Amino acid sequence: MEPTYGNGSFAFCWRPHYLFSQIERFDVVTVRFTGKNVMLLKRVIALPGEVLEFRQGILYINGKQIQEPYVQYRTPWDLAPRKIKPGHVYVVGDNRGTSMSRHRFGQVNINRIIGGVIP
Amino acid sequence: MNKKILLVLILIAATAAVFLFPSDEKKIRNNLDSLAEYCSSASKETAIAALKKVALAGKLCSDPCMIQIESFDIHRDFKKKELTDHILMMKKMLPDTHFTFHDTTINFPLDNRAELATTLRLTGKIDTDRFTEAYELSITADKIDGDWLFSSFSVVEFMEQ
Repeated sequence: MEPTYGNGSFAFCWRPHYLFSQIERFDVVTVRFTGKNVMLLKRVIALPGEVLEFRQGILYINGKQIQEPYVQYRTPWDLAPRKIKPGHVYVVGDNRGTSMSRHRFGQVNINRIIGGVIP
Repeated sequence: MNKKILLVLILIAATAAVFLFPSDEKKIRNNLDSLAEYCSSASKETAIAALKKVALAGKLCSDPCMIQIESFDIHRDFKKKELTDHILMMKKMLPDTHFTFHDTTINFPLDNRAELATTLRLTGKIDTDRFTEAYELSITADKIDGDWLFSSFSVVEFMEQ
């Protein structure tokens, strides 16, 4: 999640964040990776029903280019259009300086979103 | 005095029962810990030691054993020989790798079947780079001739590109 969250830095998962609010695009969330304690820190970039695409590293949602000011370094990711399933969101890390194959991203069930992140 | 002796005897008997007659859940957890130990390999592990451990790991699994890893397009039964060959190959490829299972929950939908959800943690070294990987696993264990054997392993893929 660099540069937003540096390697070795601290952040807190705010579990009640989505008790009274909906997940929105660009929210940074904790995703339950495995068991009770292993989490991923990712950013939500697409919501249920939307069509997501990457062209040369640029994000497109429903065919429209989306600005991502939090991304500092960009490698030319190409990902064919895909529709986000109901009850799912698409999460990606901010560190786009690595190749797609080395990055863990994709659509996840909203039930796997544990909470928001502080700070 | 008689009551005290009786109480101590009851406590000793209860403690002995716990250790001599472990529950099914305890047996399965012990098997899982053993599996992790047998699959782990030290950097200076001899070929004979590796073969022994692999054979012991094979004995903890049923024949055949279902393996499902969607990201590698694996979804089929493995015969015991094939399974142990793959474990041995993996030990050779990753000679300094440590396996551990964490956060294991066990349910018994049937008397002779257990369903486990667990986290597999791999730590090791490839060339000079250290690595740590974690995977969520769904494991099924069946009671066959009184022994709990692992009959299927499935990597839970929760993120779809």
